[in-house]
Amino acid sequence: MSLLQVRNLDKTFGQNYALSGVSLTIEAGEIHALVGENGAGKSTFIKLITGVYQPDGGDIFWQGEKVGIKNPRNARDLGISVIHQDRHLVPYFTGLENLYLGADYPKRKLWLGIRWDIMREEAEKLKVQLGIEVPLEKQAQDMSPTERTLLEILRAVRVGCKLLFLDEPTASLTDLETEILFRLLFRLKSQGTAIIYVSHRLDEVFRLAERITVLRNGQLAGTVIKDDVNKDSLIKLMAGREILSSDVKKEAEVNAEPFVLEVKGLRTVDKRVKEATFSLRKGEIVGIFGLAGAGRTELLEAIYGIRPNCRGEIRIKGKVLSKPSPAVSLQEGIVLIPEDRRGQALIMDMSIRENITLPVLKNYTARGIIAHTKELRDTEDCITELKIKANGAGQAVQALSGGNQQKVVFARALMSRPGLFLCDEPTQGVDVMTRSEIHRLLRNQAEQGGAVVYVSSDLEEMLEVAHRLVIMHDGETITEFAAKGLTQESVLQCCYYPRKESEPSIEGEG
Amino acid sequence: MKEKGKPNWLQLLRVYGTVIAAILIVIGFSVLSPTSFATWDNAVNISRQISFLVIIAVGATLVMAIGEFDLSVGAMASLGGVFSAKLAVQGSPFWAVFLIPLGVAFGIGFINGWIVTRFRVLSFITTMAMGTILGGFTFWFTGGTTIFENIPESFRYLGQSEWLGIPVLSFVMILVTVIFWFVMANTAFGRRLYALGGNEAASRIAGINVHANKNLAFAICAALAALAGILMASRLGSAHPTGGNGLFLPAYAAAFLGMTTFKEGVPNIWGTFVGAAIIGILANGLTILEVPTFMQDVITGVIVISAVILQKLGRK
Repeated sequence: MSLLQVRNLDKTFGQNYALSGVSLTIEAGEIHALVGENGAGKSTFIKLITGVYQPDGGDIFWQGEKVGIKNPRNARDLGISVIHQDRHLVPYFTGLENLYLGADYPKRKLWLGIRWDIMREEAEKLKVQLGIEVPLEKQAQDMSPTERTLLEILRAVRVGCKLLFLDEPTASLTDLETEILFRLLFRLKSQGTAIIYVSHRLDEVFRLAERITVLRNGQLAGTVIKDDVNKDSLIKLMAGREILSSDVKKEAEVNAEPFVLEVKGLRTVDKRVKEATFSLRKGEIVGIFGLAGAGRTELLEAIYGIRPNCRGEIRIKGKVLSKPSPAVSLQEGIVLIPEDRRGQALIMDMSIRENITLPVLKNYTARGIIAHTKELRDTEDCITELKIKANGAGQAVQALSGGNQQKVVFARALMSRPGLFLCDEPTQGVDVMTRSEIHRLLRNQAEQGGAVVYVSSDLEEMLEVAHRLVIMHDGETITEFAAKGLTQESVLQCCYYPRKESEPSIEGEG
Repeated sequence: MKEKGKPNWLQLLRVYGTVIAAILIVIGFSVLSPTSFATWDNAVNISRQISFLVIIAVGATLVMAIGEFDLSVGAMASLGGVFSAKLAVQGSPFWAVFLIPLGVAFGIGFINGWIVTRFRVLSFITTMAMGTILGGFTFWFTGGTTIFENIPESFRYLGQSEWLGIPVLSFVMILVTVIFWFVMANTAFGRRLYALGGNEAASRIAGINVHANKNLAFAICAALAALAGILMASRLGSAHPTGGNGLFLPAYAAAFLGMTTFKEGVPNIWGTFVGAAIIGILANGLTILEVPTFMQDVITGVIVISAVILQKLGRK
């Protein structure tokens, strides 16, 4: 009898399948890796099994019995826990308090206080059982990332976890800390706990897992035994059918055109971008691709001036941008289409009109007073031109569909007659029609002398839209390709075997 | 989702419910007390009584529009009144008596905003502490006593005289309301304040200078609070070191009542005006009916809560 069996799991968001017909079996005491590109459905899968989402189809069997996992609490009671990148700890609680978070504290008779001694004793026992050291008297906010991860695992084990999800657990760990974590995982496995390990780091996957499941576009690409595959065949499996970049696309003959944007050795203060160098000529669409956390969004934000940089140079049409800020950017004809439409682009309770004219309000004011008639007329033109489906310019943007909201974002961008678009996942969560309309709009802008930096996690889309691809890894631009004739596989190869390696690992030490 | 064609009664009730409530309250009092409440003199009287509240609440509305709070408005009003009366007693010229306190208040409001934007401190805490500081200064200035001796006649002009049988205070109130309605509805500055309150991150990306606009909103709010305090001192012919403190809670009650009116869930100037009017009419009418003060407080509180609940009802 398997610990967990999943049959034909489906999950849709709107009309799109996030996960479709995924089947998977997990045995007790197994480390099972889950890999796939960004957006392949890994997170959705975790959320379905831990009760955050409800599946739209398919069955989940837990220890042979069919179950419906209604909420995270339900999952935890069954024995399923997840260790996330954004850790679920209360920052100003001590390790011990966090360990018992959401559980009943052992109490004295008649509720006269909490038995801290019992808690401490139990925690010590757990630490010995797992062979790890966690400073339980420290507040969570003072702990290192590893200590926090270990604490979370400790908590999962305390509540009788039988299946543990780890989602990119080593993203912020040093090699030495990774070793400590791995030793713990092997120990848990030997004690019969099953582990589903989600990671982009294939070396780790090969070290830990016996079996590897690959997801692709929300579907099961296959479950393989580690010894039957190597990194290359795994990448091939992730990339799927070979897709050449579309040949219809006119090859950009831009080598003689002047540079619109030149970025040299850019580094942000928070080091999310460490070393970015690339350039963009008039008429070009350049895609920036990288795995999650590679620093793509952060690079766009640094250019636009909302993420402070501390080194390097940004040139716009040859002129150095000495102090980037949104106001300066708009003046220089740079617009940003942010990834988070609701959080960063639109003011949801304001009307379409107010949203569209916000950055160019000074064009509609005389001595500070808004010329409503002119504003309304221009906004209505925008609505017609971009085919925004709305009741009128006065409708609040929160009443629009995702695709139409994104069109409002583009309408606003066009208002400032930009020469450079910085687009971050511009087609995320929009329908197919709008998606192709956005692509067409950006191509037109490029043909008419604009330039576009395009970030998307969808590699297929990037190959379709971009003339060139710049690859980022761990905050650095590592290489670039012409999109013509480029395959998904070769791009993924480059992402998983970055040329610029980080420090060598210190295996077997400590 | 909006449905076309069918008039959505719940929607209408949500948008105009507060205005309807105000009318019902007026009708109710008129029926119960036709000889004292429903008279021209009493209407004039109410307009004078609510003028301080409207002015201070308009300022609070500006700060609420940017998604912040200024809890120092009451203390600011007290300080404004005391400061102005002190200058008047010393024989300063007419303009200085009004403009110097307003300028100082503007500066203090700017500091409120600067602390909030520069250090990303919650405005709730910043302005609460600022209120305490201002209260301390006011006591220091006055030694804790009311200023009433040697106040020149000119100081009382704004508070006590009438034009065409209507108090100057009422004209000032209407002027302030109209000016700030215009600013909020028809100027780029007003639009930016609403944008900041709606989504600060998006406003920043749209090129709006977040700090400057927010600081200015705080500064204007403080200046209006001081103006309310000055007018109050002028009306009374004396300035008490805690005279404006009592305006603080009703001002926010008015602004919250206002958020339920005209523009759903958005702080707006005419809404605030109606909110302040409701509070003022209730106080006036209930006093005429000889309802004890504690009961007036209960009724006012219940009405504010009901209005806010009503606004949430039927909102998906």
